[in-house]
Parts: sequence; structure tokens; C-alpha cells
Amino acid sequence: MNSQGGFSMAGGGGGSSATATSSWVSPTSVSSSGKRIQREMAGLNLDPPPDCSAGPKGDNLYHWISTFIGPPGTPYQGGIFFLDLIFPIDYPFKPPQVVFKTRIYHCNVDSAGNLRLDILKNKWSPALTITKVLLAIRSIFTHPDPYDPLVPAIAHLYLADRAKHDELAAKWTLRFAT
Amino acid sequence: MASGSINVSIPSIPRDFGKKKRANRSAKLKQCKLDARREQWLSQGAVKNKGCKEELMGPRVSPQQIHEEERKNALENLQMRRRGGGVGVGEDGNGNGNENGSIHHDYDLDSPLNSPTGSSVLGGNESGTNFTASSSSSTTSGSSVGGSITEEDGEENDNCLDDWEAMADALAANDDDNKLENHFDENNPCLELQSSLEYEPAVQLDCDLPNLGFQNENLTQERKVPPRVTPGNSRAWRPDDALRPQSLPDLPKQRSFKNIDRHYGQGVLPWGCASGVNVPTSCPICTEDLDLTDTSFLPCSCGFQVCLFCHKKMLELDGRCPNCRELYKNDPVKVETSVRRGSLMELHFLALANGNKKEQSSDNIEGSLSG
Repeated sequence: MNSQGGFSMAGGGGGSSATATSSWVSPTSVSSSGKRIQREMAGLNLDPPPDCSAGPKGDNLYHWISTFIGPPGTPYQGGIFFLDLIFPIDYPFKPPQVVFKTRIYHCNVDSAGNLRLDILKNKWSPALTITKVLLAIRSIFTHPDPYDPLVPAIAHLYLADRAKHDELAAKWTLRFAT
Repeated sequence: MASGSINVSIPSIPRDFGKKKRANRSAKLKQCKLDARREQWLSQGAVKNKGCKEELMGPRVSPQQIHEEERKNALENLQMRRRGGGVGVGEDGNGNGNENGSIHHDYDLDSPLNSPTGSSVLGGNESGTNFTASSSSSTTSGSSVGGSITEEDGEENDNCLDDWEAMADALAANDDDNKLENHFDENNPCLELQSSLEYEPAVQLDCDLPNLGFQNENLTQERKVPPRVTPGNSRAWRPDDALRPQSLPDLPKQRSFKNIDRHYGQGVLPWGCASGVNVPTSCPICTEDLDLTDTSFLPCSCGFQVCLFCHKKMLELDGRCPNCRELYKNDPVKVETSVRRGSLMELHFLALANGNKKEQSSDNIEGSLSG
């Protein structure tokens, strides 16, 4: 979908090569995406979802950092997980890119921190907001989706031996996220 | 603010113009300008017909004023209207404050005040009352008049006193209002000042016209003095000046257009709110405000509204409604049916029969673009 390796021309697009979206973006869409992101930020501050926070990293509106607290009752309890949220220039028509910066033992997150979430890929809708994305991310802590895994081995273990999976996940949480 | 600008202008200009005033009087030029003003004023009067009529109804309280108006009514319709505004000012200045309701009115009322005739005919008593304790609408203009009095009092009294005396005589004969006599002396220098200064070139004559109508020809001649100064003095009113009279030829029109625009822009919302409660005011995708075309544009049967720009963009992407993920139907007929089905919007769209056609055509265009 996204042309990987494409060059994002407009500034403020996250500034990293990971934000490559389309090769040309009209200035109007830049401003409109900025406006939309600003409004989402206001809404997020007004009504933040539980166990997480998010906000721009520095003064770049298109590059956010998000923090999740491992929900109680899960093997991720007690851990703090950092994520990068990178908005494309043509947001909200394209989904934001979410990357785990903290290692996590999870069948939907690979070792590079890439997250497999349907609403961040083919199920993205411009009507979705970053608040909903954060809620969706929070839900995968409590309910991993082993049927759409990014790391099949973990998904297999999750299905086959849940206790072992949870033990390993708690161990990783203790090691990387605390 | 206005008083400040007026005060600043007073020391420099009036001495020149006041002295040369009579020598330079060119009847031809004056007549041309007077005609131009009259045209401007007439067109202005046509624009403001409704408002003025309503204003007229409001301020008329004292029988004497009604009597005045009836008299002028015989003269000319428009003149009467303008005069009606003037009467309102007089009342306002006298402390009745009937016309303080809306700014719109206030501007109207202010204009005769700032004009020499207005202040001579009506504001004569006003400059006194307003100067000390006054109502909100005419305070500033009143004080500006007062400011001019204080600055220039007695300086040019001899210059055109006779003119104004003649005018005042005519007024006294017509107005049978002795209040005016009381303030005549005080008012005189100010009037003379204004005639030489020409604060607001356009309005002065605008407001003069009605008064001239019922005053004598002699006064008409006198009142042609101001326009001579007009060209050099165009900075009298800034467009955003709070005191700027509405009867100024150009900008009032712009203002009324603006009002119309605003009515259009806002009219959408109450209208939409009246029919459907959940009509969004801004596009949920790009957060830009929805205009009339956007609000009457219902691309999906789920009722999810987006602006036309976002709709076009989503047609380019996957062509699905962001809300229900259904494919957008590009067929205008289907858009029409979806419009009919939109429960919230039904009344709204019934009222917008024409808007629907526009919407269809725009959808057609988009369909052809995307297809």
C-alpha cells in the first residue's frame, strides 16, 4: 500500500524514512492533516484512554510518542511500553504507523517492534482517530490475536500452552519493560 | 477613537479651508458632487429600505417627532427615512435610549450626528446632552462634536456664522423646537468646523439631502460647501471604525453583503439544526467547516457526512464510506435515494430540493472524475 522507500517531500512528515508515504503531497493536505492531528490531540487530552498516553515528540506534530502501562491481569502487568506513532502527510486518509520501541513478547509484535493491527493496515478508515488506535493497541495487550500473528511461534505457543506463553511474556516484560 | 482622529485633524486643516471656503465655492463642481452623492444615497437607501423602516417604527415616540416625519413624508419617501434615523438620534441623545438595541441601528443613528446638518438640525441639542452624560450609541460621536467645540471654539465663529444662522432660522421655523435654540450657540462653531473640515465627506451630504429637502434653497446652497473639501479628506473613516456611519456609500454595502454572507453561512446551521439534530458543522475527516454544499451532500446511506474534498479523496483511495465501510455509490440516482432514506436529513433535504440537484451534479462530476 505504502510505497516503501518513497521520499516524503514535505517537512514535518515525521522526518524519518519510516514515514514514507506518497512521493508528492499537496500543501493543502499537509495543512489539513495538521489541523486534524491538532484536533485529535486536543480530544485526546480532553478524554485520554486508560493506561496510556500519547503526544507529539518534540515540536513535530507528525511524530508522536506513546506510553502504555501493561494492563493488570496480563503478563505485561508492571511494564511500561513506549511506542512511536508516525502520521503520514496525508493522514487521515492513510493510517498512522505504530512501532513498539520497547521489546515485548507478543504474537502481534515482531522483534523490530512492528505491530500487526488490522485497523492500522487494510481496515483503516479516515473516520478513526488516534484515540481509537490507542484503544485498539491497548486491547491487544489483553487480547492478543493469534489468528493474525506477526510472530507465528508466539501465536502457536499462545494457543498451545497459554501458561508457558504468559510466563515468557512476563519474563520479557520484567527484562525489557521495567 | 473617532474623536481622537477628529481632534487631530482639527488644528491643521480648518484654518486653511475655513478661510478659503467661500472664495473657492464653485457651484458647478458642487452640483456634480451633490448629484453623485444623491445617487449614492438613493442606492444606499434602496438597500436599507427594510432596516430603515423598522427603525422608523422604533424611535417614534413624541408626537412632535411624528409630526415632523409626517411633514417630511409629504416631501419624499427616502428623505423621510433618513430623517427618521435622525429623529431617532435626537431621541437617543436626549436620554431616551430607545435605539440602543442593535449596532446596526446605532450606526444609522450616528451618521446624522456626525454630519453637520444632522448636528445642526437634530444633534444641536444633542451635542450638549451627549457631551455630559450620554447613551451608548451616540456617546462617541457626541463627544467628538464636543471635542471639536473645545478645540476650535471661537476661532472661526465669524466665518460662516451667518450661513448657519440662516439655516438655524429655517430650522427653527420648521422645527418649532426651542431646545435647538438653546444649543445653537454652542453648536455653531462646531457646525462651521464640520463644514470646513468635512469629517466624512460622503455621509454629510447623504444626511444632508433629506434635510435639504425641507429646508430652503438658500440652505441647499450653503450645504454644498463640504463636498469641495471632500477629495483631500478621504481618511476620515477607516473601514473598521466603530463609529463609521452605515450610510457611507461603499463600505456599508460591503458590510451588508458581509451580513448576507454571514446569514448564508450561519443560516445553514440553524436551518440544519432545525431539521436534523446531528448535522455536523465540520467535516469529521479534515475538520474543515462544512459549507452549504457540503451540508446538503449526503454521500452515504449511513448518514455520514464528509466535505466534498474528502469525499473525492476517498473515492480516489478505496471509495468506501469511512463510517460504515460501504462502497460509495456514485450513481446520482442512488445518491438521491440515499438522500431520501437519510432519516435525520429528510426534512432538511426536502427543503433543499435545489441543493439536491446541485449535489447530484457535483456527484456526477466526481463520479466521472474518479471513474
